[in-house]
Amino acid sequence: MTEATPIDAVMRALADPTRRAVFERVAGSEEISVVELTRGSGVTQGAISQHLKALKQAGLVAERPEGRKVYYRAKPEGLAPLVDWMSHYGVFWRERFASLRSLLKEIDP
Amino acid sequence: MNDVAVKPDTQEIVVDEVFPHRPETIWKTLTSGALMARWMMEPNGFEPVAGKDFTFQTRPAGEWDGTIRCRVLEAIPNERLVYAWTGGHDGNDGYGSRLDTLVTWTLSPVSDGTRLRLVHSGFVLPRNDTAYRNMSEGWKKVVRNLGDAVEGQG
Repeated sequence: MTEATPIDAVMRALADPTRRAVFERVAGSEEISVVELTRGSGVTQGAISQHLKALKQAGLVAERPEGRKVYYRAKPEGLAPLVDWMSHYGVFWRERFASLRSLLKEIDP
Repeated sequence: MNDVAVKPDTQEIVVDEVFPHRPETIWKTLTSGALMARWMMEPNGFEPVAGKDFTFQTRPAGEWDGTIRCRVLEAIPNERLVYAWTGGHDGNDGYGSRLDTLVTWTLSPVSDGTRLRLVHSGFVLPRNDTAYRNMSEGWKKVVRNLGDAVEGQG
């Protein structure tokens, strides 16, 4: 396996804990600037910019320049390759347990 | 017990909850087709008898028609139900890829009801990628939240 598949690119981008934290903050806001992301992050603005660059290359964030500022927003569709069987069934079974609880309450009050 | 050895390249999902109902009642919801349809999915041809084949119809992906093929491996009334859960296609990645797993339901009486434990085992993770395995709980949360968004588009 020498060729990087999209799933590898996404996993590699999110394997770094700091970069993952940056992504979660971007995902948690509608749009956010590099300056806002740097504030309170404990890392330099240059480092944040590097992480954003990697996230952009992996298709996880999109940028929008406005004057001298650049705003970033998350692209959830970039995570599509990672919606694998295991995460699918993780969600599936948790939801089913909740449905089972309601059904049991109804048939055996 | 020799059968507890876990293959290093597979993972399992475990959901374990206590329900304020008797094991007999919960067993019914796990083994009656009409009740299964109300909380899980509607099975075709299910009977709680070892060796019995049945299917579930789910969302297709690529060359896979979405059929989950199952076989009952063990059925001990009010205690334990095990079935093989297979599907997918080699041509797919992620959702819809080849799936060869096992679903195990265990019921045990507790003072205030029944403990129901689901183990869905045998998920093969992308190989040669330790990063995937090392991802933290925070990562799972992201996938959970954003997974729903992605699912909505499918």
